[in-house]
Amino acid sequence: MTAIDWVIVVLRVVLPALILPGIVIPLVWVERRVAALMQDRPGPNRVGPFGLMQSPADILKLFTKEDTVPTSADKLLFLLAPGLAVFAALSTFAVIPFGPTIEVAGRTIPLIGADISIGLLYVFAITSLSVYSIVLAGWSSNDKFALMGGIRSSAQIISYELAMTTAAAGVVLASGSFRLTDIVGMQQGAYHLIPFLPRWNVVPQFFGFLVFFISAFAETNRLPFDLPEAEAELVAGYHTEYSAMRFGSYFLAEYINVIVASAMTATLYFGGWSLPGYHPHGLVGGLVSLAVFAAKTAFFVLVFIWVRWTLPRFRYDQLMKLGWKALLPLALANLLWVAGLEMIRMHN
Amino acid sequence: MERLFFDAAALLAILFAGLMVVGKDPVKSVLALVVSFFALAVTYVLLLAPFIAGLQVIVYAGAILVLFLFVLMLLNVGRERPDGARRPIQTVLGSLAVLVFAGLLLGMLRATGTRVPILTDAAAPAALADPAAIARLLFSDYLLHFEAVSVLLLAALVGAFVLARREEAR
Repeated sequence: MTAIDWVIVVLRVVLPALILPGIVIPLVWVERRVAALMQDRPGPNRVGPFGLMQSPADILKLFTKEDTVPTSADKLLFLLAPGLAVFAALSTFAVIPFGPTIEVAGRTIPLIGADISIGLLYVFAITSLSVYSIVLAGWSSNDKFALMGGIRSSAQIISYELAMTTAAAGVVLASGSFRLTDIVGMQQGAYHLIPFLPRWNVVPQFFGFLVFFISAFAETNRLPFDLPEAEAELVAGYHTEYSAMRFGSYFLAEYINVIVASAMTATLYFGGWSLPGYHPHGLVGGLVSLAVFAAKTAFFVLVFIWVRWTLPRFRYDQLMKLGWKALLPLALANLLWVAGLEMIRMHN
Repeated sequence: MERLFFDAAALLAILFAGLMVVGKDPVKSVLALVVSFFALAVTYVLLLAPFIAGLQVIVYAGAILVLFLFVLMLLNVGRERPDGARRPIQTVLGSLAVLVFAGLLLGMLRATGTRVPILTDAAAPAALADPAAIARLLFSDYLLHFEAVSVLLLAALVGAFVLARREEAR
């Protein structure tokens, strides 16, 4: 490997990890402006043009505020938990393909951090670890609100992870691979009978997509499922005792998780970086694919924001009922349906 | 390079398993076990079994130990008392278990030798790395074992349910 090869590898790995926190800064501004738009008020519009500098100013504030640790807290775990949250959020992106394998100047460059054979399993493994950051924050704070938030969150995430994984199993069944590049690859082209319909997984597996996307709201602790941090009853839930940038870490992790969940939805059900009828070539093709991927992801991020300011918060028993009695059976039915489709396809 | 990572991960796994045993705080013990399981997953990756590694993290670290932690937090279990309500039979059985597993380990080492196939090893079977190959084996040669385990899990589930119900009725 020459020096340029090393640079390319480092870029593929490091760039997504650096860009994600960078996107969060304008994203917070977008969220607040969209919220304001929906509530018929101006929103942050004073700092810089259109209020764009509001988020950088807030981050500066978070970094300069006093970092407090409660006296009765478990220091080690209390300090470790926010870092864990950001780590779990950032490392998921390593296996999501953001473009095809392109040829530039005689080099083949796959536009993905690491194309591993267990890609989807890796994503679920990391997501299942992210629950520790919340549980530990709740427990180590030694505070009843934080503990309640932590317990609620672990119950919620475990319940919805089941439905989410079962829904995603339908995609694995259809593509016959955990590799995310394979999953994107099998979604290219259009159907024979209906040529204008792209072969996206969302078409045969609409209910699978529905379960996956709804569960994603619960996994990221976003409204209508943000019970772990319900202000009215739990102050701020698991991060009640956190201040300054440690609180900021949870904030950052939540937004990165929203981006990752959107990117995963686009990859599993909407063809990832592929644009129907377009075959990318060279550097331009790579850039176009990247833009397509970004646009699809941005769309789902906007849906996340849209839902947050539309729906009220669920009650805890309603949340559990929805997860276990509606989403999980629906996901199982979807899995059976996909298995039936695959049987038919194999016999033809 | 792979050998170095493997040794480091194996050492971490053993170290944190030890911490889990001697730890006085139950929550810290569970967390030590999480680190140990994660390190084990790393060794699985280096042993050409990424699928097993993924399952190791999802099932053990991500699901079972979260439930452990959940129960410990709900019950608010305190630190283990230093005097210890340890019965002599526990010491006897514990030593016996250690002997049995040490024998098992020695037997395995004698059968396979200390050489292990690591990531770059060309002699290692490539089939291990492929989830599809594992699935094929699971649903053909090992179908009976697979179904037996699922019945066992179901029995455990029903058992837990029965126990919990009795508690509720009282």
